[in-house]
Amino acid sequence: MSQIVLRNISRRFGANWALKQVNLEVREGEFFSLLGPSGCGKTTLLNIIAGFLEPTTGEVYIGGRDITGLAPYRRDIGMVFQNYALFPHLNVFENVAYGLRIRKMKKAEIAARVERCLAAVRLEGFAERMPHQLSGGQQQRVAIARALATEPKVLLLDEPLSNLDAKLRKDMQTELRSLQRRVGITTILVTHDQEEALSLSDRIGILGDGELKQVGTPLEIYRRPANRFVAEFIGQVNLIEAQALPGADRPPGTLAFAARGHFAAPGEPLRLYAEEHPSLAGRESVLFMLRPERIRLSPEPPEGAAGVVELRIESVVYAGSAVRIAGVLPGGGELSALSSDPSFPVLPEPGGILYASWEPGDLIPIE
Amino acid sequence: MARTNRTPGAESAGKYRRNLFSWVMLTPGLIFLGAFLAVPFLLLFVISFRDVDNWMNMLPTYSLNQYLEVFTSRFYLHMIWTTLWVAVATTVICIALAYPAAYLLVRAPNRTVRTALYVILVSPLLTSVVIRTFAWIVLLAQNGLVNEVLMKLALISEPLRLLWNLGAVIIAYVQVMLPFAVLPIATSMGEIDPRLRQASMSLGAGRLRTFWKVTLPLTIPGMMSGAIIVFSLAAGSYITPLLVGGRLQPLLPLAIYQQVLQVANLPLGAAMSITLLILVGVLVAGMGLILRRWEGRMHG
Amino acid sequence: MDDREMTGASARRRRRFDGWTLLVWIAGGAVYLFLVVPVLVIILSAFSPNPYPEFPPTEFSLRWFREVFQSEPWMRAIGFSLWLMVIVTALTVALGTTAAYGISRLEFRGKQALLSFMLSPLMIPQVVMGIALLYLFTAMGIIRTMAGLVIGHILVSFPYVIRTVGVSLSNLDPKLERASMSLGAGPVQTFFRITLPLIRPGIVAGGVFSAVTSFGEVSISLFVVSPSNMTVPVRIFNYIDQTFDPSVNAISVLFIAVAVLALIIIERTIGLTKVM
Repeated sequence: MSQIVLRNISRRFGANWALKQVNLEVREGEFFSLLGPSGCGKTTLLNIIAGFLEPTTGEVYIGGRDITGLAPYRRDIGMVFQNYALFPHLNVFENVAYGLRIRKMKKAEIAARVERCLAAVRLEGFAERMPHQLSGGQQQRVAIARALATEPKVLLLDEPLSNLDAKLRKDMQTELRSLQRRVGITTILVTHDQEEALSLSDRIGILGDGELKQVGTPLEIYRRPANRFVAEFIGQVNLIEAQALPGADRPPGTLAFAARGHFAAPGEPLRLYAEEHPSLAGRESVLFMLRPERIRLSPEPPEGAAGVVELRIESVVYAGSAVRIAGVLPGGGELSALSSDPSFPVLPEPGGILYASWEPGDLIPIE
Repeated sequence: MARTNRTPGAESAGKYRRNLFSWVMLTPGLIFLGAFLAVPFLLLFVISFRDVDNWMNMLPTYSLNQYLEVFTSRFYLHMIWTTLWVAVATTVICIALAYPAAYLLVRAPNRTVRTALYVILVSPLLTSVVIRTFAWIVLLAQNGLVNEVLMKLALISEPLRLLWNLGAVIIAYVQVMLPFAVLPIATSMGEIDPRLRQASMSLGAGRLRTFWKVTLPLTIPGMMSGAIIVFSLAAGSYITPLLVGGRLQPLLPLAIYQQVLQVANLPLGAAMSITLLILVGVLVAGMGLILRRWEGRMHG
Repeated sequence: MDDREMTGASARRRRRFDGWTLLVWIAGGAVYLFLVVPVLVIILSAFSPNPYPEFPPTEFSLRWFREVFQSEPWMRAIGFSLWLMVIVTALTVALGTTAAYGISRLEFRGKQALLSFMLSPLMIPQVVMGIALLYLFTAMGIIRTMAGLVIGHILVSFPYVIRTVGVSLSNLDPKLERASMSLGAGPVQTFFRITLPLIRPGIVAGGVFSAVTSFGEVSISLFVVSPSNMTVPVRIFNYIDQTFDPSVNAISVLFIAVAVLALIIIERTIGLTKVM
């Protein structure tokens, strides 16, 4: 059953449409991320779900009920804000108890519930502290405990980890995910950090210019981006436009294409072989995506590869676990590749020559 | 080159020069305040212990007689009590009215409206208190505007006696001092992260509850600094009560003014002044303490 | 009707009506009305030919303004007040700016107490300050002189300059002064070449506040002023304490005009919202 349904949501600010006809269904218990560059409308969308903004058109349903016109305090949601928004005049206990006191729960019940929530975020013994006495990570956990204390139907997270330093962010990601699994609460995370979205979510919605560009599992989003926007936004890509060569020689089970702008030798377009795919049937021109980590680099031309091209090294960036190498094809056209550290006992030098190859299945047609 | 690797001695010499300069800058102001703020209050304090003869001439003897008179006569005790409650009433009304006014200022839909509200708030502060009080005489007098309008509407047949009572004093006080309460509360309100209100609402609190549990506690700093100014002004002014309340109102500042300029019993006037100063000082210090406690709780 | 239009219409229908917000706006509007009505009344009365204010006004006349401008005592008081204002403003700005700079650049025990002392004239009951100065000036022999009046006015204007200049100083990036000193400028040169130009908005605002405070001061002036050389507010006070004269309305309009002028200066130099 779908827990959160957005139907035809649009929102206008003055003359600008921040959101255009967004349709989305988030399933019960799902961890869903809204991912997009800043200004794409993701926070607007979250605020519409929370009730802080009203959509110009469209409806919001939670658990089958239309809540579009409902005030935020009647929606039964939990929300965690980017700066945590802990009440500075209340201590940790009072912050977590806030929603329970609003609901007029009994004192003993509140105490028990708060204790449980603080234990869930590993903050036992911090009840008496004031927010300003806590570290960023601790404040973050109080904010999560406060949002979960009222046992809401939906948890909304607005860039909750972006104020933490890199190491702490990784730890909190793991913790957040396991907490969400344990509680089983339907969760929407807004983030601009693709790695965070990929590693945490059951599904991801990519927003760009107020439109939902693709919805899918992290695997689908990364491996088969639906369009150029998603391909360029998620990870590093080589995008290659190509022209079909229907009659050309080709390995079995593949189709042949001639790249535009990429030349194996001066004036000779790079020949590409892509796996046969229904979406390629009868198409004249195709945009292919080639992930850098799919490109194999070797000092000598490898045997038996479907396509091998010579690459003159332009730059080498060593990043610890990986080496990023950018190069130019003999006739022009750039290609960037990512290799794991052990594949180069000695780092190649700019100006040197490497041979790049890939499998037909690595060329992903998009659009 | 020599400048870049200075010895520690040279560095502390530079610091010494800077500090010396700062002290030189501070000194004229300090001397002025010492001579014309500290010295007169010492003088006032000393005079308050002097005795007077029957013709109000100061005698060279010292005693507690003036303070005994202030604190044993029913007349003066009643006066102290009235002064305090008029000041407290003024403060409470000002704070209560200041919240909606501050809300409008913070939420003004555009710059023009905000500037207009600011002008309404700030211009009274820049106009002499005599003129602001005079406006209330024009409004509340027997043949004043309020009476005229009420008579024209046939709501009353005889003019009401609106002036010359403590109610008139409080109304005029509130109008004169309201901006002092609105401005700090508006500042506090503007500094509240809107996400705190959103957090409160997401946890199920409606607008009214969010105001009581989030907005109000977080504006306590502004509220207290407003209250401190309004209270000390209301407890220490004599112009407004004299003009709209009349000479006979049992208010300490009024009595001090008359004691000094009309009766010319200087030591008694001094003792009453010191009493007023201490009363205001204690209450203001108390409010200041609450303010600092609260800020300490929130920010450490 | 297509699907999109329908959803738009239904969303609008459900838009919630917010009673509390409306109530607060009405209450706030009433408060601003309460603040502004007395001022409007004075302005209306000043332009009415009748000795007593009436509402609604029936005629427009400049009679009371003419009377003020033709009255030798009023004009002398205005001249005296303006002259006083100029002296007080200049002295207060000089004393206040240097003191605010000194205290902001020093760290010592009791700094906070000293700052409170410097701001205390805002909070000390004015009647008490008035009689304390009366006693002192009597002892010094400068009672009922211009000097006494100047001192009293500086005392009440001083905290405003400390505050506005203090705010400007605390907003000043300390690195700028350090940069100047690292380039070889001493503290004095740094103050005049870097600090002073950068805190000018605060100084202007402090000056405007001093000017307006001095121009309108009455509580202390009443104790120390000489009957032969009265300031305008003291003269107004004596007038309305004894009789009712509509020319006070006209004088008041002049004061309000000065206040509005001061506001415009503040708005132009630093912006209203930043000072208060």
